[in-house]
Amino acid sequence: MVTHSRQPSADDPRVLLDQEIGVFEPVPPYPPRTEREAEFYTLGDGEMFVNMGPQHPSTHGVLRIVLKLNGEQVVDLDPVLGYLHRGVEKICENSDYHHIVNQLDPLEYISSLFMEWPYVQAAEKLLDLEVPRRAEYIRVLSGELNRIASHALFMGWFALDLGGLTPILWSFIERDEIVEMLGALTGARMLFNYFRIGGVNGDLNHEFMSRLGSWMSRAATQIEANTKLLNENEIFVRRARGLGRMDREMALRMCVTGPNLRATGVPFDVRRAHPYSIYPELDFDVPTRTEGDSLARYLLRVDEVKQSLRIIDQCLHQMPDGPIMARIPRLIRPRPGRAYGAVESPRGQYTMYMISDGTDQPFRLRIHDPSFVHLGSVGRLVPGNLVADTMAIMASLDPVMGGVDK
Amino acid sequence: MALTPDAPGAPGGAAPGDVTAGASGQAGTMPVAMPADSSRALTEAIVVPNSLWTSANPIAYNGGRPAEITHLREWAQTEDARRDNARWGALEVIPTKADYVLDLIRANSLWPLLSGLACCAIEMMSAATSKNDMDRWGMFPFRASPRQADVLIVAGTLTTKMSGPLLRLWEQMPEPKWCVAMGDCTVSGGRYKRSYSTVEGIDRIMPVDVYVPGCPPRPEGLIFGMMKLQQLVKDRRGHWPERMVGPNVPDGV
Repeated sequence: MVTHSRQPSADDPRVLLDQEIGVFEPVPPYPPRTEREAEFYTLGDGEMFVNMGPQHPSTHGVLRIVLKLNGEQVVDLDPVLGYLHRGVEKICENSDYHHIVNQLDPLEYISSLFMEWPYVQAAEKLLDLEVPRRAEYIRVLSGELNRIASHALFMGWFALDLGGLTPILWSFIERDEIVEMLGALTGARMLFNYFRIGGVNGDLNHEFMSRLGSWMSRAATQIEANTKLLNENEIFVRRARGLGRMDREMALRMCVTGPNLRATGVPFDVRRAHPYSIYPELDFDVPTRTEGDSLARYLLRVDEVKQSLRIIDQCLHQMPDGPIMARIPRLIRPRPGRAYGAVESPRGQYTMYMISDGTDQPFRLRIHDPSFVHLGSVGRLVPGNLVADTMAIMASLDPVMGGVDK
Repeated sequence: MALTPDAPGAPGGAAPGDVTAGASGQAGTMPVAMPADSSRALTEAIVVPNSLWTSANPIAYNGGRPAEITHLREWAQTEDARRDNARWGALEVIPTKADYVLDLIRANSLWPLLSGLACCAIEMMSAATSKNDMDRWGMFPFRASPRQADVLIVAGTLTTKMSGPLLRLWEQMPEPKWCVAMGDCTVSGGRYKRSYSTVEGIDRIMPVDVYVPGCPPRPEGLIFGMMKLQQLVKDRRGHWPERMVGPNVPDGV
C-alpha cells in the first residue's frame, strides 16, 4: 500500500487550520514588516488593542479592524481585509465573455446590476456594438430600481448601527417589494444575471409592470414616511450630525466617489460627468450637500431616492418599442485592445478595465470598487471618535465587503 | 409525568367550594381530578397514571416499570390520536416526559448566530425582517455572540482565510448546537468551486445538519430549512454534550 505524503498547500483549509495562526490575537504573530506596522503595534501609555471582527454584527460582512484605544477613544486603527477574497478576477480570466456577467454579480450583492453594467459597457466598446434603445431604457429602469433598494437598505442599516431597530424593519419592506419586482423581470431576487453584452436578457413582462405600477403609486409617500422615522428623530440627528466629517479636499485626495463625495459639496456624478446610456436625455438633478458628515451622507441618499423615482417615471413614459438585444454571435472574440466602463452605482463609481487578446476569454479584467476606496478613508475619519462611533461612521460610508475583497 | 383528567374513581372536577378535593395528603399517589379553577392548579401536584397506551412488551421500557408515552410519535399510533379532535393543540391529555418537553422548547426557540459571510446574509436578514418573519416559527432574534446562540447559519462563501474564525465560532457555541449551510457556496462550493481561495463546502471543516441550496436561496427556502431543523432537533440530531448522547439518539437516522 502506497502512503501518500501530501505537501501542505495554502488552499487546503485543514492545513490552514492546523497552523495556529492566531486570528483573534490583535497583534500578528510575525515581526512588523513595515514602518507603519511597527508604529501601530507599539502601545503607548494607557493604550490597548481591541479586535473587532471578522465576525461582528455590524461590520457589513467579514471585515476585521484592530482598534488601538485610549480609554474609550480610538487612537488608531488597522483594517485587515481578505476574509471574503473569492478570486473573481482570476475566474473571469478563465471564463467566456458571456459567463463573466454571472461571476460578477456576487461582488456587489446589494445592487448587483451595477456590477454587471460596467462590464457590458466595456465589452460593447470592444465590440463596437450599438445597443438597442429599448434595452438601454430597461437597463436604466431596472438600475434605478436597484439603486432605491440599496439606499433603502442603507437607511435601515445606518439606523441599526446607531442603535435603532425599527427602521430596518421598514426599509426591508421596501427592499423586498423592489427585489420581488426585479425577480419577476430578471428571474432572481438578488444575483440578477440580467444584463447581456448588447442588451438585456428579457423584456418587460406583465407581472413586473403590474408590481411596478402598484409600487410607484405609493412609493413616494411610503419612502417619505420611512425617512421621517429618522429625519425627525432627535436622537438620531444629534448623534449623526458632525460624526465622521470629511472635507472636500480630503475626499478628492482619497478618490472618494458617489454619495460620499457629493455630501462634501462636489457635484460629481458619472451619469452627468461622463454620460453613458440614455442618461443625457433624462431630466434629473445631482443633489449635493456641504457638511460632509454622517447626517449629510444619509440625507443625500434620501434625496437620491427621490431623483431615482423621477428617472423611473420618465423611463416608463418614454419607453420605446423595439428589440432588446443587438445581434451578436454566440462566441465572442473581440478585437485585441483595451476598454473601460464606468457607471454611477449607489456606492460610487464602479469601473472595469478589460484587456482583450483576441480570444474568447479576456486577458485581464480589473475591477475597481468604490467600497474599497471608502474603507480606506475610515482610518482618517474614525481616530478621535469613541468606540461606538466606529461602526456608525463605517455604516455611513456604506461599503459592501464583497467588492472590497473581490 | 402523565396528566389525564377524569381518571376513573376520581371526582369529575372539583367544585369551587370543595377545598379538600385536591388538597388531601395523598396527592402524590392518588389520582386527583384536575381542578376547575386555575388558581389552585398552581399549588397542587396532579399525578395520574397513563390509561391511554400500554406497550406490547411490558418489560421493553425501563425494565417493566409502568409504561408511559414518551414521544408524540408513539402517541400518534394510538386509537385516540386518530380521532379528529385529538390534535396536538386540542389535547386533553399531554403524555410526555421532561426530555420531550425540553426538545419542544429547544425546537421552538432556536437562536441563530448573526454571522453573515457574503451575499446570502442579505437574504438571511430578509427572512428575519418584516415580510418573511422568522419569529413566527420560533426562530428567534439573531444573537451577536456565539455564546448565546444555538444555530450557526453559515450564509455566504467561506474562504480559506475565514475558515479558521468560523470554526472557532462553532467551537465557542454551547451545546446542543446545530449548523445550517445556506447557499450553494457553503453546500458544495457553488459558483466558486473553481476558485483558489474558497472552501468547497463547509462540511469539509465542520458538521452540517441542514443544507439549503440556492444562489442565494429565497428567504422562504431558509425558513423551510429551519423548519426541517426543528424536526431534527426533536429527533435529537445535532451536537450534544457527551452525557446526553446515547439511548436517546434514534437508530437509522
